[in-house]
Amino acid sequence: MTLNRRHILAASLTLGAMNLFPGLSWAQARKLVFATFTGSWEEAHREVIVPHFRKANGNADIALDPMLSVDMIAKVAAAKNNPPIDVMLMDPGPRLTLIDQGLTAPFPTDGSKNYKDLLPVAQLPEGPGIFFQAVGITYNPEKVKTPPTSWDDLWKPEYKGRVGITNMNSTLGTAFMVELAKTRGGGEDNIDPAFAALKELQPNLGAVAPNPGALATLFQQGQIDISPGNFNAIQILRARGVPVEFAKPKTGTIAFLTTAHIAKNTPNGPLAAALIDSAMAPEVQTKLMQAPFFVIPTNSKVKMEGDIARMIAKDQEELKASFVFHDWSIINKNRAAWIERFNKEIKV
Amino acid sequence: MVASTADTVAPAKPLAGLEWTLALPLTAFFAVFFVTPLLLLVVVSLFADSEMTRFGLDQYAKFFGDAFNWKVLGSTLFLGVKVTVLTLLFGYPLAWLYTRSGPRMQSALILVVILPLLTSVVVRTFAWVVILGRDGIVNNLLLTLGLAETPLRLLYTENGLVAALVQVQMPLMVLPLITTLTRLDPNLLDASSALGAGPWRTFFKVTLPLSLPGIVAGCLLTYAASVTAFITQSLVGGGQLLFMPQYIYQQTITLHNWPFAAAISMVFMVSVLGVVMLLNLLGRASKGYIHA
Repeated sequence: MTLNRRHILAASLTLGAMNLFPGLSWAQARKLVFATFTGSWEEAHREVIVPHFRKANGNADIALDPMLSVDMIAKVAAAKNNPPIDVMLMDPGPRLTLIDQGLTAPFPTDGSKNYKDLLPVAQLPEGPGIFFQAVGITYNPEKVKTPPTSWDDLWKPEYKGRVGITNMNSTLGTAFMVELAKTRGGGEDNIDPAFAALKELQPNLGAVAPNPGALATLFQQGQIDISPGNFNAIQILRARGVPVEFAKPKTGTIAFLTTAHIAKNTPNGPLAAALIDSAMAPEVQTKLMQAPFFVIPTNSKVKMEGDIARMIAKDQEELKASFVFHDWSIINKNRAAWIERFNKEIKV
Repeated sequence: MVASTADTVAPAKPLAGLEWTLALPLTAFFAVFFVTPLLLLVVVSLFADSEMTRFGLDQYAKFFGDAFNWKVLGSTLFLGVKVTVLTLLFGYPLAWLYTRSGPRMQSALILVVILPLLTSVVVRTFAWVVILGRDGIVNNLLLTLGLAETPLRLLYTENGLVAALVQVQMPLMVLPLITTLTRLDPNLLDASSALGAGPWRTFFKVTLPLSLPGIVAGCLLTYAASVTAFITQSLVGGGQLLFMPQYIYQQTITLHNWPFAAAISMVFMVSVLGVVMLLNLLGRASKGYIHA
């Protein structure tokens, strides 16, 4: 065959078209889509989980699509037979909604290398827990000289106008209210003590933030000096030079699992399971535990190190002893009424 | 005059009278991506329960049966009034200054007016978080000048929100005002003063009435934009000042109560449309006034 200008042009056009429209090449299934969380989570997952997964699965193609859990549910619910995403991450509240609506396929525990090494609390066949999130007291060490040790410290008169909370739209805000109820004789089915306590907190309240992200920035602005906060988010702010510290309340750190789920009717079932297996692997979780990610591991084989060992738990035993879990099946039933009540009652 | 008549008598083209077909692509686009979702919203709002199994007007009954919801709606509409009035008060002199300046000053002013439009509303709003914070510029100034002993709470208050919205929405008010004021015939002002009216009288009797169309257009844009400003309302207003946009978001995203969210959206849309129509009537009345 002689190579002339026409041949080269035709060949390059074909190649270009195949690049532009990958669907043109036959028999190629959609690549695996991993719906992760936004911001530092996406960064962490792109840098640690994805390389591990690709190495173990013959460089399989994968795309990350960062969004909120509730958006993942909406997307999968809108296309039940052909979901646009394969792996989803859930906080405990949305997790139950996802399962109730039948939008997730069970995780194949038998074929998994790492599932059996998870802490028992994270071994959930509907979708295993791939990391913990921990909520404790956040404070500005430049303004708050004695580190707080209890949720009650937020009520100290010296913090007048300097306490921040979020409303109950977020997992953080809701978990804080439930814990407040629990420390004052209530619980998931009796939130009254928490609302009574918030009324007493009003002179101290400097801000009710619309979401946890906005709450974190208020430390930067000096608007608040003490608040409930997510360990991971606080560590990331601290690493950027914002004066914040995390303190464990003596009644325990509020903890919840972030679980990974396979979308029902996904065309990429085996790869989706493989990705979740990567997310549970001890070497992945060890890397995610260190700076700059500070993700709390669920694999019992991971040896606690660094800030997590110092500030959360030195080993899995201490972790089990200090973590407080809430029953989100009861919370979900009551949440609408609580949010309505919060809308009406809490005014700064 | 002769030239312009010649222009209008163009030779007949095969498509003469069919020019409206040019609007078809956009019409189709709006039908698919705006009218259809809007109709869907109406349908969703007519479900009686949050699981969407049966129809009924329950969501609307729920909304209007609770004084709290009236309060949220009222405070949202009133927020828009406050912002619009303040934007007009600050924007009018700026627009007037523009028409009185030389070309170099005009380009500088127009840059100042348009500059905020060139940055994202998130960035503009975030600047207000920094300005209004406990450690922010306003509080530091007040403390240094000895006007306050402890930092004031400005962020997450309604007044702070109004200030931020006035700045963020300012271009929407100033640009229509500039357009009307520059079209105003300066001979009219000269005539007014030649007939013995002082500058204030000229302003209230001539300039202000003639600029009413611009005022109405500016108010319309500012009002609609500020009552629906979800980002600014939540970032500067905080988590406990509840306005309609956040209320809708809360019911949709956090509580998955789509029928109630849809009903709130419909109520909100109709209320804002009502205000907009009122302003439009005012605009039409002002036109009659001008031509009379």
